[in-house]
Amino acid sequence: MEMDKLGVLTTFVHNIVVYNIPLLYGTTGEILVEKSGSLNLGVEGIMAVGAIFGYILGCYANSLGAGILVAFLAGALCGLLFAVLTVSLQANQNITGLTLTTFGLGLYFFVGSGVKAVSWPAMNDYANIKNGFADVAIPGLSQIPLIGQGLFSHNLLVYLGVVIALVMWFYLSRTRYGLRLRSVGENPGAADSVGINVKRYKYLHICVGCGIMGIGGYYMALNMSGSFNSSCWINGYGWIAVALVIFANWNPALAILGTFVFGFFNTLRVSGSSLAAAFPGGLGWLAAVPTQLYQALPFIITAIVLVVTSVRKREGSGQPQALGLNYFREER
Amino acid sequence: MRFHVVKRDHCPLWKLLGLYVLAVAVALVLGGLLLLAMGVNPIAYYGRMFTMGMVGNKIAYKSFENYLKVFVPLALTSVALSLAFKMRFWNIGGEGQFILGAVAAATVAFKAGPVLPEPLTLVLMCLAGMLAAGLYGAFVAALKVRFGTNETLMTLMLNYVALYFITFLGETKAPWNFYLDDTSARPIFTSFASLASFPKIPIGKFGLNICVILTLLIGVLVYVYLKYSKQGYEIAVVGDSVGTARYAGMKVNRIVLRTVFLSACLIGLAAAFKVGTAGILATTITDDVGWTGVIVAWLSQLNTGAIFVVSALISMLQYGSTTAASTFSQVDSSFADMLQGAILFLVLAADFYTRFRIVPVKKGGNDNGNG
Amino acid sequence: MAEQYAIEMRGITKTFGSVVANKDVELNVRPGEILALLGENGSGKTTLMNMLSGIYAPDSGEIRVNGQPVTIASPQDAKRLGIGMVHQHFKLVDVFSAADNIWMGKEKAGFLLKKNRYDEIEAMAKKFGFDLDPRKKVHNMAVSEKQTLEIIKVLYYGAKVIILDEPTAVLTVQEIQKLFGVLRRMKADGHSVIIITHKLNEVLDISDRVAILRKGEYVGTVNTAETNEQQLTEYMVGRKVDLNIERPVVEKTRPLLEIRDLTIKNDEGAVAIDHVNFYIRGGEILGVAGIAGCGQKELCEAIAGLRPIEQGQMIHKGDNIVGLSPKAILDKGISMSFIPEDRLGMGLAPSLSITDNMLLKNYQDAKGPFVDRKQGRADAEHVIQELGVVTPSAETPVRRLSGGNVQKVLLGREIKAGPNVIITAYPVRGLDINSSYAIYNILNQQKKDGVGVLFVGEDLDVMMALCDKIMVLCHGKVMGVVHAHKTTKEELGLMMTGSLDLTNKYEDKPAGFAKDTNFAPENQGDGKGET
Repeated sequence: MEMDKLGVLTTFVHNIVVYNIPLLYGTTGEILVEKSGSLNLGVEGIMAVGAIFGYILGCYANSLGAGILVAFLAGALCGLLFAVLTVSLQANQNITGLTLTTFGLGLYFFVGSGVKAVSWPAMNDYANIKNGFADVAIPGLSQIPLIGQGLFSHNLLVYLGVVIALVMWFYLSRTRYGLRLRSVGENPGAADSVGINVKRYKYLHICVGCGIMGIGGYYMALNMSGSFNSSCWINGYGWIAVALVIFANWNPALAILGTFVFGFFNTLRVSGSSLAAAFPGGLGWLAAVPTQLYQALPFIITAIVLVVTSVRKREGSGQPQALGLNYFREER
Repeated sequence: MRFHVVKRDHCPLWKLLGLYVLAVAVALVLGGLLLLAMGVNPIAYYGRMFTMGMVGNKIAYKSFENYLKVFVPLALTSVALSLAFKMRFWNIGGEGQFILGAVAAATVAFKAGPVLPEPLTLVLMCLAGMLAAGLYGAFVAALKVRFGTNETLMTLMLNYVALYFITFLGETKAPWNFYLDDTSARPIFTSFASLASFPKIPIGKFGLNICVILTLLIGVLVYVYLKYSKQGYEIAVVGDSVGTARYAGMKVNRIVLRTVFLSACLIGLAAAFKVGTAGILATTITDDVGWTGVIVAWLSQLNTGAIFVVSALISMLQYGSTTAASTFSQVDSSFADMLQGAILFLVLAADFYTRFRIVPVKKGGNDNGNG
Repeated sequence: MAEQYAIEMRGITKTFGSVVANKDVELNVRPGEILALLGENGSGKTTLMNMLSGIYAPDSGEIRVNGQPVTIASPQDAKRLGIGMVHQHFKLVDVFSAADNIWMGKEKAGFLLKKNRYDEIEAMAKKFGFDLDPRKKVHNMAVSEKQTLEIIKVLYYGAKVIILDEPTAVLTVQEIQKLFGVLRRMKADGHSVIIITHKLNEVLDISDRVAILRKGEYVGTVNTAETNEQQLTEYMVGRKVDLNIERPVVEKTRPLLEIRDLTIKNDEGAVAIDHVNFYIRGGEILGVAGIAGCGQKELCEAIAGLRPIEQGQMIHKGDNIVGLSPKAILDKGISMSFIPEDRLGMGLAPSLSITDNMLLKNYQDAKGPFVDRKQGRADAEHVIQELGVVTPSAETPVRRLSGGNVQKVLLGREIKAGPNVIITAYPVRGLDINSSYAIYNILNQQKKDGVGVLFVGEDLDVMMALCDKIMVLCHGKVMGVVHAHKTTKEELGLMMTGSLDLTNKYEDKPAGFAKDTNFAPENQGDGKGET
């Protein structure tokens, strides 16, 4: 059997993007939250909540846009909960985030399978959603051999994710509001003293960041065609996103690259064997690598990055200095 | 009238408990409303949940045995984590440490079980579990003291490395892989219950697993250790002020390494108890105790006694909801996760009022458009 | 019609838990004046100013700006009202450039960050008469640069009332003069300036009027031209100070601790102590004077074994202590207590009880694996009794005690251990006059018992009265050791600023070398060449 080797490669590149864009949403969302000085370990739960509500309400409205909006709002509501507890009520961020994950996953399963009286719609029945999620080729760029189809022919949410990342990079590094947000995450006392409303900045960015995570969750639902089963759609992507934030050095533009790197391993897990079959000479060994190694690699790499950056101290690190610390103005 | 928030010096115990009870009650009422909306009588449901199906059940002792199987790993893990937290070392790597402990204990069971007497096997399982988990934890502590690596993020990453390691063991059919069942074509873990299993002390029909007694004993030991021992004193000082600890001539790095090792060791022991009781590995062997334990330890304010109470309650919630689910088929057991989340959110909110007071500003000038 | 003030504060009260920081305080600031806010450490100056700048909200009282009653609920409100504060601990974002630190608080800054913001900030700084590299990152700046940046910042935001909290504490003499020049210029431009300080000479030098606080209460406001140091001190401490600190004459022993050619680096890797020689005998108090941050902390830490040394020798009763662990040095009877600015950072575990803090250095002595709380409790009761520590019980966390009592606990523990050398830095920091005397008495008693005391202090008057000799440090170098009863404040001041070097005053022997040294003869030669 003669394989279309080029086709295998193109599919491989295409899959990297298709299956891992939710990471980009989770990561950019978390970057926005962390830049405000809040370490939110609830990404997994928030993505789950965004997924389930986006899916159900999107289907009812028979509109991809409605699904995205609902997923965003559901995520933002989780963010609001996190903000009320950690910003206003000074609760420990780690604990609140972990609780949010427990709660979010509970809510996800409860809505997804707990309400036995209702059976949820099958997403494939909704033409608007199905069509809305279809690939759209970018004219010109998608004609580039090898990578054109892999990189520049995707569904709208892929483009949206990349646009969000780029806009966020621009926002953080090139605008006055981004500057202020960074100052809040670095030194809330300094930000407060020059009249920046620290609470408002934290609330706003936590909510928007969590909303973006929610869209990422919805994407996963779409990718799985929205058929609910007992294993979670999110399946650890939220935690990879937390790792990816570190790998991307808190830079949303680098997060695009990071998504590609992490996604590369993720995709090798799925399509490693087809690559091995297509290129038995050079890549045959891929078939022998246990898939779990690919799954663990993002975490191993991030652990290494953590160690390396700590050895080099803070030089050039994008980690906000006040990350994980609550701010109380009257602290003495 | 304007209000502002001030810190409390001290919150009396009755107020603290009252607030927590109130928070739990509010969460239960919210959950009850949801149950009502689903057409379930909340009182009947909660009744079933909190009695864990033992009332009017001929084999109630079986339920209680199963409940204790949930309770033991959670309580021991939470106690273990409190050691590290007391030193302000944010070990959220309980999951990973538990997994490695479980794998190590299972390895001993498979390898030593057939040749050694059972009690010795069990002891070796415990030691192996402790060593594996302890080293995994101490590795992060070493990075922290040497380079200042952020332990929260590091332990988080290592959780997943461990998770995929056990997944690898569970999904890889190979001649070397003695963890799996040879007779099955699909990769599934095989039981070693016949080789090594923690004994039960019969009390009537009820069998009290020895792990329960050991866990309670360790709880007392940890309490004494933290409160009365020199090492416990060192942990308290390091947790309070590293500068002061150095000044007092304490070898801070060694104390951090030792304490984190000990903390992780106990998590490994919890894992050994778990696999030694279950008699089989599973990729979900942890039952999320690494995560839940963090929350339990925190909510108990690192008080060993409170940890036992809180983990008993959380286990009741988790185990009770599965038994209730068998009666109320329309309520998924995921309801418990949600309820648990809601309780924790409200307790976290209540916690605010134990640390802060909201006072009205008595006379703050006229509000003339400012502020 | 009453006089129009820029700021009026009336009946301001602020409490933190059970501690009353300000009680019924009044304060008026005229437009275009420099008002000094004078008071001892812990008299509530900073708290009061933090209420003007919106960090704290008063429990009760009224604030008026230009005659209008206002509510200042946040720093944002303060900024809008034209009030700017330069905090003692600078509020700057380390990873930002100078320009961005200013830009982040600018009201109408436009949506985009443009490159020309650097030029704009630089031009603006020039306009106010400052040199500023707008692209320089804060973490690369020296202390004085950071302060300048803070001042430019508040000016840029259009502050008409500028508050400076202890601005001179971290500056050299030249920098202080430069700062005062800036303040006078600001005054000439019509700004009101409030400067918090407890240094009388500065008050007399720069201010138009002086408002005095004592223990959180308002004492009064006087015109600087009509007052003098004596009167101000009286207002500040409540009664005529007669620094009649006892200086008992005690027979001195051979040197207990000898330091030769000691060089130490600070946390940033710069030289903090530079080839220093000195010695302490039993039965004497050796004072260490110097501007804040000129190596005192590093010196204390090095002797206690908490900081590695670069070079040099430290001999205790003839035994080398370089390279020993802190524990081994403790066991030799060298006690070090350092009161940092937050009072709790080194020496005490704030969340632990007095009992537990008593055990800090000797918990290892108990037999077996357990700590001996009975002993700790007995020690705690003893110290509470002996030094009059005000506390509900021996089990009260140290954090909940007031500053003076915290220091008594610390010093009490140190003395309890029966050391032969006591190194104490700022033991009376923030204490009221009576508590301070209690501390001086403790130290004198130790001296009589033949203990050698190294006293790192701030107040020259106190040091001249209490110490036998005073060693002056300037940027890590010894400027000389003088007899406390022979020297003058002026002489000490000149030495502290590096304008007077008395190290070679006595030609018969190298400075800082004891005649009856415990150093072995062969070591003598090494040191000599260095001096």
